[in-house]
Amino acid sequence: MEALYFVPEMLFYVISGLILLSSIMVVAARNPVTSAIFLVVDLFFVAALYAQLDAHFTAAIQVLVYAGAIVVLFVFVIMILNLKPDALRGIRFSLGEALVLLITLAGFVIVGSELARTAPDLTTPGNLGSAAIEMAGGNTYVVAMRMFTAFLWPFEMASVLILLAIVACVMIAKKDKRVTKS
Amino acid sequence: MGMNLGIDFSSLLQWNDFTVDLAAFAVKFAILVGGLLQLPPLLVWIERRVPALMQRRRGPNRVGIFKWRLYGLLQSLADTVKLIFKEEVVPDGAHKVFYHLAPVFCVFPAFLVACAIPYGPDLAIYGYKIPLSVVRMDVGFLFIFAISSLAVYGVALAGWASNNKYSLMGSLRASAQMISYEIPLGMSLIPIVLIYGTLDLGKIVEAQNSFFQWGVFTAPVSLLIFVICMFAETNRAPFDLAEAEGELVAGFHTEYNSAKFAAFFLGEYVSMFVLSCLASTVFFGGWQVPFVSYDALVTMLGSPNFVAPIGILMLLLKAAFFMWVYIWVRWTLPRFRYDQLMFLGWKFMLPIGLANVVVTAIVLAVLRFK
Amino acid sequence: MIPVENYFVLSSLVFLCGLAGVMFRRNLIMVLMSIELMLNAVNIIFVAASRHLAQVDGQIMVLFVITVAACEAAVGLAMVIALFRRYGTVNTEFLRLLRG
Repeated sequence: MEALYFVPEMLFYVISGLILLSSIMVVAARNPVTSAIFLVVDLFFVAALYAQLDAHFTAAIQVLVYAGAIVVLFVFVIMILNLKPDALRGIRFSLGEALVLLITLAGFVIVGSELARTAPDLTTPGNLGSAAIEMAGGNTYVVAMRMFTAFLWPFEMASVLILLAIVACVMIAKKDKRVTKS
Repeated sequence: MGMNLGIDFSSLLQWNDFTVDLAAFAVKFAILVGGLLQLPPLLVWIERRVPALMQRRRGPNRVGIFKWRLYGLLQSLADTVKLIFKEEVVPDGAHKVFYHLAPVFCVFPAFLVACAIPYGPDLAIYGYKIPLSVVRMDVGFLFIFAISSLAVYGVALAGWASNNKYSLMGSLRASAQMISYEIPLGMSLIPIVLIYGTLDLGKIVEAQNSFFQWGVFTAPVSLLIFVICMFAETNRAPFDLAEAEGELVAGFHTEYNSAKFAAFFLGEYVSMFVLSCLASTVFFGGWQVPFVSYDALVTMLGSPNFVAPIGILMLLLKAAFFMWVYIWVRWTLPRFRYDQLMFLGWKFMLPIGLANVVVTAIVLAVLRFK
Repeated sequence: MIPVENYFVLSSLVFLCGLAGVMFRRNLIMVLMSIELMLNAVNIIFVAASRHLAQVDGQIMVLFVITVAACEAAVGLAMVIALFRRYGTVNTEFLRLLRG
């Protein structure tokens, strides 16, 4: 397959172009439902990117949880609240916002150049090439081994966190049924 | 004047691994889509004739060509022609894009999921091994659940984009039902993953080589939960509140007619078929023949290429059995009320699914520790 | 293969889109969606870095980030519903009780 080296690169550029397009549309769309659907498309293409990086388990989990549950929640809330399309605010920067954007950009440029300067030259995939992952038992196996040995505590904490979130949601969104004493 | 892009295109013109994969993918995909598109007319015919016979009436048997009645099979053809040529009435305030896009969200995931199921053993052609699933993935299971969770968007968007309060209510209920039953559906298959040790559907089928290793014997509770949630996921059988004829007019697809209505039903029947195939793959051995192991078949017939049609036939027979169960249950059981449905999903199926996972894990740990 | 700087540029651009969404959209739900976009951008660079450094910890971090994003989206949306019930609007320009 060495002769077809250009296929993964082309694929990367196509997928990342689509990701950027969807991200811009998420922010620029007037209708919240349109935004949500573009977010789904965006998450789907990011999952494709993960699959290209041999992170199959993460890609499947991303579509299953992120695109298939979280954004469904958004869509439900939008439909229940019956939100109307709203226009963008208009590009009147206040000083604080302009500063935030500039500092973020500067941060990215600094970190990026640092990365480019010190990154090791990994023209060959190294320990986590596709063949090496297959040999080690597949992406799921590798992730699971690491998760349940080194990251066991965070895993259990995450389940407690989800429980907290469920209880909090129910408490916050419940209708107040107290009978007012007149 | 040729541009030298530094890219070597000539390797695309020979038979190497990549091009064989690509060609096999194209052929398999074409055959799969073609085959799946033949399914709904057949199913609609079965769905009308069989319950009619169950209910001691005749069902449609009038449509014919030159006195060739064919037991009403041509009724489906007539219906298809009608649905395609009917005038499409788009409601006034419907959303310009999502009204037309919603059926796509229903149909597309069903076809994608059908790509992950192994329809037969690997073919061996000229030294290349060609698996008989359109894509062979090492996370086949998760892929199926991930993509079928995208079908919720079709239902939600259809109701919302129709500019109709009853459609919206129907679609919210239908999508709430679908996401509620996704969880027990996935959870019932976790014990299968624990038992067979892989997420790859092809390997799970290969692991069910002997009859008593089939999923139905190793994880019977999973089968029960999976079958019940299978009905709920496709909005069928006793869980079809959202498209109930008497309740919300026609639920989320009230405002859809002609081709888009047909598209919703295409999506529903294809996802019925796909879930039936999944159930047969995981619980009933997929393309394995009962009591005959794969190696015995290969030695009997000479080459793996001859075992493949037998495998495909077996899988289709098993899937046909599940489709029969779908239709049978639909016309036998009364419909659930919405709160009963949600109670069943969250307070009954989910705890049983969890208990199933825990018990299976404990049993496996004990058995493998020895 | 593909150098990790490409993924970094992609991740930064998506993050900037999300940031712009948080700053320039008036609808509270749109703000929440832009936050999800930012978390997604972070996930991209986590997975790319995990592949680049030949460790799997990045992907585990991604799983945790997805979990936390789910919880935060759920609680945020619950709050949006409660706000809508109380004030009748989810427009950030009208919800300004905490502003000085």
